Amino acid sequence: MARRSNRKRRKPVPVPVASMGDIAFLLIIFFLVCSEVAKDKTNLEVTLPLSEYVEKQEASVAARVAVDEAGQIFLDGEAVGSPKDVEWGVRAMLASTVADDQRHVQFKCDAKLPKDTFEPVLKAIAEAGGIIDAVGEKQEE
Amino acid sequence: MRKKYSKEKKHRDGEIPVGSFSDIAFLLIIYFLVATSLVKLKGITADLPTGEKATQQQSSKTPIVNLRGGQTFFNDKPVTTAELEARLQVLNLAEADGNAKVIMLESTRDTPYQSYYQAMAVISEQGGVIAIVDEGDK
Repeated sequence: MARRSNRKRRKPVPVPVASMGDIAFLLIIFFLVCSEVAKDKTNLEVTLPLSEYVEKQEASVAARVAVDEAGQIFLDGEAVGSPKDVEWGVRAMLASTVADDQRHVQFKCDAKLPKDTFEPVLKAIAEAGGIIDAVGEKQEE
Repeated sequence: MRKKYSKEKKHRDGEIPVGSFSDIAFLLIIYFLVATSLVKLKGITADLPTGEKATQQQSSKTPIVNLRGGQTFFNDKPVTTAELEARLQVLNLAEADGNAKVIMLESTRDTPYQSYYQAMAVISEQGGVIAIVDEGDK
């Protein structure tokens, strides 16, 4: 009988929501610290080259250079006229860098493009002092 | 007058409304989830000499990788990607210093980026420094 009376006395317990705001703000801080805002606005659809030696690129890049299927060159999402523009653009971006780790330049290019199109761009990045992070996909053995 | 007075009193003992803070915070979280990309791209890191180094003279003993169309040659001998890797492994490029690290990369005009990329990947994997050979350099 005593058991029954105990059951009756139970009232609905309110879920504590006071800390929800704190949890949410902690999550925001986490995303702010961990995320990198995308600079590449072009969202290029290119066929990436394959290699069995590709690895995840951990270093943060100072600039992003891309060449699309038509051979159009992009520097940080903006179309540029020639490899020389890439050289000057990258040189300006790397001007304030002090360590080698800050000189990484991402290079994305279509796998079918001929040498005449991509090699001047690679040379331009090298001339500007960039370390090339060439984007590719893992080739299954 | 009476009404106004009572309203003012209510405000005096009122607290800052924080009830909507969690809603604002969750909206911000959704924004960050949508706007950010956590995907890490895959690729290779290639070390190409800068302008000053490019003017240096390479000796005739510097190993050279030739790309002719889809075919790869190492010191003028045809090789597969695995064979090229084995040849470069012998040179122990990772331990070498200075000019001994340099591998020259020459290609014909019809060489696609795919072949070029594979050659760069092998050389970089072995710790080599790639020196692009221009037609004007020869």
